[in-house]
Amino acid sequence: MTDVKQAARISGMRQFKAILKKDIVMELRTKEMLTSMGLYALLVLLIYYIALSQAGRGFDVTNIAGGLLWLAIVFTSLLGLNRSLVHEKDQGCLDALLLAPVDRPVIFFGKAIGNLLFLLIVEVFVTPLFMIIFNAGKYAHGISTWGFVGLVLVVGSIGIAGVGTLLATMSVNTTGKDFVLAVLFIPIMFPLLLAVVAATWAILIANPDMAVYWKMIAVAGGYDVIMLLAAYALYEFVLGA
Amino acid sequence: MKQIRIALWMGIVGGVMTTVAFLMSFFTAEVQLFGTVSLPQQIKTAYPLLGTDATGFMYGRPWFSQKIFYFHVPFAEASFLVFTVAAYFAVRFLMTKKKEYDTSSRVAMEVALVFVVLTLITGDLWTKASWGVWWEWEPRLTTYFIMTLLMVAYFVLRNSLEDEERRAVYASVYGIMAWITAPISFFITRVIPSDHPVVFKSGMATSNLLPFIVAQLGMLMIGYAVYVIRVREEAMRERLDVIKDSLEG
Repeated sequence: MTDVKQAARISGMRQFKAILKKDIVMELRTKEMLTSMGLYALLVLLIYYIALSQAGRGFDVTNIAGGLLWLAIVFTSLLGLNRSLVHEKDQGCLDALLLAPVDRPVIFFGKAIGNLLFLLIVEVFVTPLFMIIFNAGKYAHGISTWGFVGLVLVVGSIGIAGVGTLLATMSVNTTGKDFVLAVLFIPIMFPLLLAVVAATWAILIANPDMAVYWKMIAVAGGYDVIMLLAAYALYEFVLGA
Repeated sequence: MKQIRIALWMGIVGGVMTTVAFLMSFFTAEVQLFGTVSLPQQIKTAYPLLGTDATGFMYGRPWFSQKIFYFHVPFAEASFLVFTVAAYFAVRFLMTKKKEYDTSSRVAMEVALVFVVLTLITGDLWTKASWGVWWEWEPRLTTYFIMTLLMVAYFVLRNSLEDEERRAVYASVYGIMAWITAPISFFITRVIPSDHPVVFKSGMATSNLLPFIVAQLGMLMIGYAVYVIRVREEAMRERLDVIKDSLEG
């Protein structure tokens, strides 16, 4: 009897891979999310130019570069999170997932990792562009700086994608959709954003402050762990409603 | 019925206590002369600062704006306490799916929001009088601002959902997430590198402590009374809706 049960039950890993694959294949077919997120990030950079246009030619963005970069990432991720779940709702995909014998936590991880992947791809595209356009990397010490920046991006994106997936699943069922997502998302992300902006700043300045950098990475990592645990625990209730 | 009566009495007692605290803060509490504002450089304040001593600047005249602290700190503490109560009811709702827990959670959030708004108003008055500015991105103020936004977002979420059960579940989930975020952001705003020193330290003499405690208890009693009465009002409204539906159908 147990043998039959074991065989019939698809392992969590396979379920997870299936959900992730679905998102990736859908994205590869339409390329909708990546192109719109990428374009949006570019437009945000343009708006930065407009905002800084009267700041003078020799304006040194180093102190605010971390903040500007993360601002662009936050706005882009709001867009991406919303879209990734709007499809699920409109096409009835989420309902189908709930009908299938899939564990609820696996749905959370599948969606969250999918969103994380797309966010990271967009970041890989936008960050060098930002650094070049605004000459924010002028104090960079070669490849190690970019390694550290990459680490900050990953740690921050994990938090954004994880909590954002939970909030987006809620907001997509409301009447306000994007607006509600922004209103819910930004206050909850606030501590993480403070930490990662401080870490990015610490790396980009003339004499990188590694003590501050690692402390901020630790703080951001702590935030990720706590909030992802909470999101993971609460996702089941959100799906059930 | 008994609970309502207790709540009403608590409300009255609480109101009396808060008024007494108000009077005490002006008549019996020690007038503070020095501000314990510790800053590396002088800031523009409502009235001139004299020289420094070991703990900070000396104000040029009695520091009346400190009186507002007897209300500001109790409001702030009460708001976080009631926020915790709301989060507790949110957890209970998710565990049991009983509607009264969701109502309790929402009403507690409303009371907490009232306290939060009062805290911000009194706080703004204090910062203008003591520091000369309406706002400062100091750790405590920033965290408090975030807490305000979290609570407002809770109500935005509630208002944007039609289906009752879904609304209750989502609001509870968000309430729990918000409650976890508030202490985290308190911690993080202290830890990030910044030029701002922690601007206010305070030690309070005993004659100051009494109006403070009276105000705190009084406020918590008023908060409790309002909460109980509101929950009753919601319960009655529900009964009314049920009766209306049965009459129409």
